Amino acid sequence: MSLADLTFPRQDYSYAFLDAFAKRELRRSILKAIAIPGYQVPYASREVPMARGWGTGGLQVSLALVGPDDTVKVIDQGDDDSVNAANLRRFIARMTGVKTTTDALSATLIQSRHRIPEEILGEHQVLVLQVPFPEPLYQVETSFAKTKEMHADAEYSPMWLSIYESLVRYNTNTHGADYPVVVNGRYLMAPSPIPRWDNPKLHMAAHLTLLSAGREKRLYAVPPYTEVRPLEFEDVPFEVEDQRGWTDESTGTRNKFMNEIPLEGGLSRYELSDSDYKRKLETQDPKLGTTYYNHNGRFYIEGYLRGRNR
Amino acid sequence: MAYVAARGGEGAIQNAEALYRALNGPLDAEFMGRLEQTLPYLIDRVMGEGSLYAPELAALAIAQTGGDLYEAVLLLRAYRSTQPRLAYAEPVSAETMLTVRRISAAFKDIPGGQILGPTLDYSHRVLRLEALSSPLPDGARAGVREADAPAPPSPRPVADWHRETGLMAPLRNEPITPAEIPDLTREPLMFPASRSHRLQALSRADTGGVLALGYANMRGYGGIHPTVNEVRLALAEVELKHPVTGAVFSAGRVRYSQAEVVTEFGEQEGQKPSLSLGFAATLGWNEVKLIAASMLDSAMSLPEPHPAHTEEFVLMHTEPVEASGFCIHYKLPHYVTFSSALDTLRKARANADEAEDPVGVGK
Repeated sequence: MSLADLTFPRQDYSYAFLDAFAKRELRRSILKAIAIPGYQVPYASREVPMARGWGTGGLQVSLALVGPDDTVKVIDQGDDDSVNAANLRRFIARMTGVKTTTDALSATLIQSRHRIPEEILGEHQVLVLQVPFPEPLYQVETSFAKTKEMHADAEYSPMWLSIYESLVRYNTNTHGADYPVVVNGRYLMAPSPIPRWDNPKLHMAAHLTLLSAGREKRLYAVPPYTEVRPLEFEDVPFEVEDQRGWTDESTGTRNKFMNEIPLEGGLSRYELSDSDYKRKLETQDPKLGTTYYNHNGRFYIEGYLRGRNR
Repeated sequence: MAYVAARGGEGAIQNAEALYRALNGPLDAEFMGRLEQTLPYLIDRVMGEGSLYAPELAALAIAQTGGDLYEAVLLLRAYRSTQPRLAYAEPVSAETMLTVRRISAAFKDIPGGQILGPTLDYSHRVLRLEALSSPLPDGARAGVREADAPAPPSPRPVADWHRETGLMAPLRNEPITPAEIPDLTREPLMFPASRSHRLQALSRADTGGVLALGYANMRGYGGIHPTVNEVRLALAEVELKHPVTGAVFSAGRVRYSQAEVVTEFGEQEGQKPSLSLGFAATLGWNEVKLIAASMLDSAMSLPEPHPAHTEEFVLMHTEPVEASGFCIHYKLPHYVTFSSALDTLRKARANADEAEDPVGVGK
């Protein structure tokens, strides 16, 4: 027997690109994040062969989790064919040989930027959200050293104040996407720049959501069946985007999140943002799942939304 | 081709890359070798920011990206992140490195002498247009006159003199286990940062970014008035301990540079006024970056730094891979977030209309 017999044949890259040390660190951080819902766990964040800010945080988590039995879906803005989603999916598949899909329900691992699918995800699924700014307090405090203390003290009054100020100034809550939420009654969390339409989907969700920021080197989690509440005043309830009256051109669907496409003459047309849900409707796919919002726009957990879309 | 194409995304990105490569020249080993030989300062800059000393790979990275330096640095970093950390080198010290250039602005003459070494500092910045028509014999030894007496190969740092005269606090020579030195590539930067993390971050910081923030400091944004105590370019042995015999051996020689600046009245509580030291070091020779970085090191150490020179501001915003990557990420589609923003804007506008027309006459 020679030394050569005892060693593995040389490979240019490890399975799923990351080496075992990087994966171990990521998995430990993920476990910690799940144990403390909404808490931002710092991690080394290795450079990967994508530019920073292009989903490297989500990618590292996906690469740390993916295994031979997984089926992977990657979306950007709700679209599987968005160029960067296609690139990330191609990379994960190239480094693992794993199956890929566009179907939200048959995927075991979904990496997404800025959207949560319309169909209700299940316990067998993990949703990985790409995060540009993990710190929900960055709008009111730029120093990480200070926001860390604020989280320790659950000192979130500047955030409440910023919502109050927008109400006073504009008579409406002007926070758009990435609307801050409180997880498990404790940590204020940036849900990543998903539209407010998608925020309620995190509440008591059957699936695990992992949120990861590669550039800022923080990851955090919403474990299954965890309470997630938007910051809202008792008398001014949180509201999702008002798209009542917007109809998807090809399917006639309403009350799902839509893309607004500008037309000549200041007009607009609308299409479903979740491209594979749209495909399922168009092809009458039998695998069409139940959606978080019904055809009247009512959210599936009664009483959670107190404004429109109750 | 649409930006977000139906069923066309994968084909589009592959073609876009092919077109990019088609518009650049061919790559071969000979060209990469020439790059390494004729553009060493560019190679150094990319290796320093990439925090990987590999001239051949740096040349490949520069060539493969068509000279887009941020892309080249990212390539090196992404390659580096897959490599295991096998061993810890022995510390590099001024007493052992082969110094090729060492100057001080603080004194006319210094122990060991001012060693100009290779520099363009005093050259006339004129284009050598004759090179366009006939080759110049650069690279050969011709034209270099040997000094009458050789300079000392490893002069002691100028700061040693300050320390000996009591003007500067002595070095704390505590023994350190290498494995206990925080490694920026293995743990995230937290604030306040450890001394090691700060110096590592500066070492691989973006040259342009460090220069911009450092220059702001030099122009008076911040209250330090530093003097360049020493700038040093050297060749340093990477010395390793043999895992079995314990013998120290050299694994190779790297181009290395460091700078120190001194600031007067760097007071420590309960002590006499003294000089304080700002320090920076990097792989490769990069004087501009080190002078700016060592001044930033001083500026960051003030009890109340200028907002643009706090540790968090400087280190977070001079990271070349993160800054450049995030900048270009704005090219990615943002129509979901934009739509959410439009929603709130429309609502605020509707509210404004109501406020202007409280009884609803205009409706």
